[in-house]
Amino acid sequence: MVEFHQLAAAIYLAAGIGALVGVVLPAPRMSRGAAFGLVLGAAVQAVAFATLHRVESPPITSLPVVLASSAWMLVVFSVLLSFRVRLPGLAAVVGPVAFLSVFVASINWQPGAGHAVEVSATGTWPHLHVLLASAGLALLGIAGLAGLFFLLEHRRLKAKPPRAATVSLPSLEALDRVNVVTTAVGFALLTLGILTGMIWLQEAEGKAWMGTTHEAWMVISWAIYAGLVVARYAGRQGARQAAASALAGFAFLLFGVMGVGVMS
Amino acid sequence: MKILLIGMNHRSAPLAVRERYAEGDPGPALRKLALCEEIEEAVLVSTCNRVELVVSTRNIEEAVLRVHRFFRTDLIHDGAEVAGASFDDITYEHRDRDAVRHVFRVASSLDSMVVGEPQILGQMKDAYRLAVENEVCGPVLSRLFQRAFATAKRVKNETRIAQRPVSVARVAVDLARQIFEDLGDKSALLLGAGEMIELSLIALQREGLGEVRVANRTFANAEELAVRFSATPHRLSELESLLPKADVVLCCVGGDQPLLAYGMVKRALDARRSRPVIFIDMGVPRNVDPRIETLDNAYVYDMDDLESVAEANAGERRRESDQAEVIVAQEQIQFDSWLAALKAVPTIRHLRARAELIRSDELARMSGRLRLDDQQREGVEALTRAIVNKLLHAPLSHLRNEAESGGGVESLEAARVLFALDDATAPGAAADEALRGEMERSRLAEAAQATADPDTAAAADEGDEGEDPEQ
Repeated sequence: MVEFHQLAAAIYLAAGIGALVGVVLPAPRMSRGAAFGLVLGAAVQAVAFATLHRVESPPITSLPVVLASSAWMLVVFSVLLSFRVRLPGLAAVVGPVAFLSVFVASINWQPGAGHAVEVSATGTWPHLHVLLASAGLALLGIAGLAGLFFLLEHRRLKAKPPRAATVSLPSLEALDRVNVVTTAVGFALLTLGILTGMIWLQEAEGKAWMGTTHEAWMVISWAIYAGLVVARYAGRQGARQAAASALAGFAFLLFGVMGVGVMS
Repeated sequence: MKILLIGMNHRSAPLAVRERYAEGDPGPALRKLALCEEIEEAVLVSTCNRVELVVSTRNIEEAVLRVHRFFRTDLIHDGAEVAGASFDDITYEHRDRDAVRHVFRVASSLDSMVVGEPQILGQMKDAYRLAVENEVCGPVLSRLFQRAFATAKRVKNETRIAQRPVSVARVAVDLARQIFEDLGDKSALLLGAGEMIELSLIALQREGLGEVRVANRTFANAEELAVRFSATPHRLSELESLLPKADVVLCCVGGDQPLLAYGMVKRALDARRSRPVIFIDMGVPRNVDPRIETLDNAYVYDMDDLESVAEANAGERRRESDQAEVIVAQEQIQFDSWLAALKAVPTIRHLRARAELIRSDELARMSGRLRLDDQQREGVEALTRAIVNKLLHAPLSHLRNEAESGGGVESLEAARVLFALDDATAPGAAADEALRGEMERSRLAEAAQATADPDTAAAADEGDEGEDPEQ
């Protein structure tokens, strides 16, 4: 199974390099090939996940699994988004990020090791928790990425005189639209991920709150995103502030999931 | 076969001269030219920036004289001599490799007044199509132009030469496209009626801009503009209510004070929530308060900004043209090889035809004596054909390779002597007449194919519209 993840990581790396070359040259064929590479990598990773339960006590809630599944969802969502919105340059970042995540996950892949929460991880709820939280993390990651692109493009277009783009990035409108959609859906999935996590704990340990650092960071992250979503939908936040918030929010969330997990 | 190009362009001749040679329908003149013995094929490229005649010929010196006469008598409108300059001073002449390179450079827009402009490719395709329709374009020029279109496509795809706009109007559109994903659902507000504003609006509408509103101090002028651009006319007093609805604001009105004040625009942006607005300010003095730039969702560009971008883009195109020249050189080498290999084709066909006739004659003569059944006859047919092919393979490959590398004249002559191809009494000479007929049929078939599908080699039409047309 680990070999499948490593193969997927290699494909993501190749796709990322191809996408980078595609936007820098620019070479449309290379960009299309990179998109195909991402799809192929996601398919290989799907096979790896399908074989997850072949081992006894699969490490469903371990950090490497969360990292690998988040990367997989990041790729899947970015490919799906690119069907609706023209997003040149996204694959050039998604590819290397997915490579790094899956590669790091694959070299740390050990059954039962590195659980974020030391409780029994069998049954439907831990699966749902990891799936929903990973999907939320991936979408909020795309929101953060769109936010970063937006800030770079905004800065370039506001310069006097405006600087020529060295690489072709999506329009500000497209980036803002991606930000709005992924933040809203990502927040909903994150909420469901936290709720399913609490139900899982309630069933396994008899209480929904264990008082771990991971839980505390996740609740704070949730509260931050709740504030962002309300501010955006209430019209109190412009596109640039929303982009900066999405980037900062994701950095906080990433630390809450990965940083705290590694340190604990 | 030689290729000759004689013409004039924006660098060699002023417009007043060029327009005297510009021909709207050169078909009849081309047909007349093609009837001349020294001209095999001809294509005339006639735009407002260039008039160029490309011909293929077997006698280049005679062809030069004939083309000069064509320009001076058939093409020129008034028949008068060019005042103040001789014909040679205003024209240029390219032969063979230089002519091929020139055609490739013109198609790739490397010889245009604005390097990278896309119109010339469409104009060359029109010229080629016209030549094909008038049956004055054969296999050599067909190949030349199709490779030129393919070269232009490579240059477009493999360099950034045509990517960055160099006119102020197109720069404005390009900036709008970097802010908005789709201009189809966007609305523009036109304040004033400067020429640059009109050009920008035309370019925006070409990109599919949705609604247009026009506001002017003189309402009658707004109405007149509105009719031309399918817009709705408004009075300038309605500005405050129009502004929140506008995604693109184009302004060029007179006055000492900015027409769009900070407070007014801030209120409009608040009403639009987070949706951005692009202001193209072409007024001098400026119509947009410079403080508006500090507002997050306002992207303000004045004439200085637009001209700076246009100038930077022009510099970028010049840098990219070096890479485009490399592509042109690569394609030229390929075409030269093809053209050189053409020299060997008649001899190769001749030799094959002779060998085949000798083989079939000998077989027919012997089959009566041998009394072969059908299966045996098929076997002997295959055997003799294989022997002939194997014997001819080495000399024919040598002739072809020598020709492709640009030499091989001695080998061709040697082959003709060794195999007695010019001896009408030699064995197999009866094949010569049939071969001539076959080659003529082949030539006609190639011409017919070119007529049916002039764009086969390079369907590089996409993006043929853009700024700064040659015509």
